[in-house]
Amino acid sequence: MQTITKDKTKKTPHKKQKEVMNVENTKAQMRKGVLEYCILSILNGHDKYASEILATLKDAKMLVVEGTIYPLLTRLKNAGLLNYRWEESTSGPPRKYYTLTETGKLFLKELDSTWDELRSATNLVTNKK
Amino acid sequence: MNKTVNINLANVLFHIDEDAFSKMRRYLESVKRSFANTPGSDEILADIEARIAELFHEKLADERQVITEKEVDEVISIMGQPEDYMVDEDIFEDEPRPRTERRKSKKLYRDIDAKYIGGVCSGLEHYLGFDALWIRIIFLLLGIFTGFGFIAYILLWILVPEAETTSQKLDMKGEAVNIDNIQRKVKEGFDDVADKVKNADYSKVKSTGKSFFDTIGDIIMFFFKVFGKFIGIVLIIIGAATIIGMFVGLLTVGTLDLFELPGLDGVINSITGAPIWLISLLLFFAIGIPFFFLLYLGLKILVSNLKSIGNIAKFSLLGLWLISIITLIVLGVREAASHAFTGSVSTENTLYMENPSDTLNFQLVSSEFYDSDEHMRMNDVILVFDEDGNPILQSEDVRFNIKKSNDTIARVSVRKEANGGSLSEARSTAEKIKYEYKQQGNSILFNNFLTSEGKSKFNDLDVRVNLYLPAGQLIKYAPSNRRNWTVRAETDRATDGLEDYLWKMGTDGVLECQDCPEDMDKDNEDDNNRIRINEEGIDININDEDGESFKMKIDEDGVIIKAQDNDEKKIDIDIDSNENSIKINAEDGDSTMTKTIGKIN
Repeated sequence: MQTITKDKTKKTPHKKQKEVMNVENTKAQMRKGVLEYCILSILNGHDKYASEILATLKDAKMLVVEGTIYPLLTRLKNAGLLNYRWEESTSGPPRKYYTLTETGKLFLKELDSTWDELRSATNLVTNKK
Repeated sequence: MNKTVNINLANVLFHIDEDAFSKMRRYLESVKRSFANTPGSDEILADIEARIAELFHEKLADERQVITEKEVDEVISIMGQPEDYMVDEDIFEDEPRPRTERRKSKKLYRDIDAKYIGGVCSGLEHYLGFDALWIRIIFLLLGIFTGFGFIAYILLWILVPEAETTSQKLDMKGEAVNIDNIQRKVKEGFDDVADKVKNADYSKVKSTGKSFFDTIGDIIMFFFKVFGKFIGIVLIIIGAATIIGMFVGLLTVGTLDLFELPGLDGVINSITGAPIWLISLLLFFAIGIPFFFLLYLGLKILVSNLKSIGNIAKFSLLGLWLISIITLIVLGVREAASHAFTGSVSTENTLYMENPSDTLNFQLVSSEFYDSDEHMRMNDVILVFDEDGNPILQSEDVRFNIKKSNDTIARVSVRKEANGGSLSEARSTAEKIKYEYKQQGNSILFNNFLTSEGKSKFNDLDVRVNLYLPAGQLIKYAPSNRRNWTVRAETDRATDGLEDYLWKMGTDGVLECQDCPEDMDKDNEDDNNRIRINEEGIDININDEDGESFKMKIDEDGVIIKAQDNDEKKIDIDIDSNENSIKINAEDGDSTMTKTIGKIN
């Protein structure tokens, strides 16, 4: 466990400094950037609890391990984009159902259009040869 | 049989096996630690616990089933390792983050931003916390005076990765490895172990004993880690020292003598025909490569993120080593085989003396070449060149034996010997040996050396000269200016040599001394130079060849010191215990000064 804690040194308070590119970092950054958007999209229209969100993300291969999502959900909730309520479960512990707030819906709309722009822009750029 | 613990995960009760429990606990703690500085960490943790509870719930068929390590492992693999939780934080960079309290351990990288050559020293600056200037000076000094610095630098250059990414740069600049931190590290490690000891359930020892031995194992591992570092340092020192030594040896011709390899500078090859540089190189590989791996292992122990030298390099070094070893063995076998036979050629000649009752003067003649340093020399074999520039092999391996002749005629027998791969080869090599002696009236002049063709290989050439003297023959031995231990004879006196005295061959084959002083101790008194310390006192007597002398005698009579220069300057000091006086006398050729203190009655 010691060695594990040693290795997690990825974040940097000196982000403005000269950055050396690394393909793993870039890949992680790209995936992480969309992860928020994906979570918000999943919750659009349906309230879901963490395991359901996870199942969707894992099916889409957006996530490898589940742990990643919890800090993210809390951040989104703290930012006022999500809300939650407790619901008893027939099998197992009570579940935390997440809902999109009004701000969250607006936020998602913004992201939707940005994503479309981004996708067509990326397509345009990457296919133009 | 295993004890179970009841835990409450997100308000659900679980029965969990003790081993699984401690694993779960450690996992949650490390996850917690990774969120220590994140806002809302408690909530995140609660969510995670809830999810874990859910996963456990799914996995257990009924409520009475117990969670074992297997389930815990599965859950951990689903949830991810603690560092996986961290990945997302980069997104929220603009949030003010409290300065991280977490202590990073530092890694050794080359700092290419502040490099002079390869960034090794500037990397070490971050790693050790010294100014790079001092590290550079140390490397330079070590490089100039021992060569170690250069080799170490190049090795580190090759093996230590350069800090490329930001995280590597941060790792490089992390906490300095200073005494405080090492102390803390050790303490943390110890606490960890202590924690495990504390948490080990001793009652269980009786039932299974497994966990107890696990704990012991942890403790042992901890101490191994500490001692591993020391072993690493020792390995580095041994490896580096050997390689440097070998390297210097390879470059120095002087080491050829050390290995006692026959052959010089490719002109005289060893019997196998392999030139000396090849053999040294093979030896260098055969011995150096294992030590290189030792050195590499040591570095690997000390520096965790050391680059691998790569499989290609490893296997080619291994191959090179095997080839060297095999070649050396083959050469060695051939070398041994070529010395297997000893062949000799003997000649005997009669010495005619005009007047047999005259004293025979025995004299040794040295080669003129031995006194100059201009030739290559090994094992008393030298290579010289005659007027035509042809190489000639010379060896001082000539020995003399004075023995009694069976009749009344003096004879000289010369036996030439050589080694070879076969008897005939050895004999033909022996025949090529040239050895000469001359008789001039009553004197017989023996060469103190043998010669052979320059092209012939060094095959343990030697010459044994036996001088047979009839009983009653007088002989006087005049030493050459080189060493004289090569003459052997049985004598009736325990003298150091045959020099200076007249000897007579006795009927029993033993040389009888004709003019030796009766008392050998007295004989020693007459020696020009001596330092003797015994129960009588101290006696020092030193005489120079050009008339300078120093004498000192300390005994129960007092102290006498006499020193004399060759231009008549002289000083005597006499502390006389019998007379109770001290006399000082000084002369410089023209004047004399004498002073007497004492005569106390």
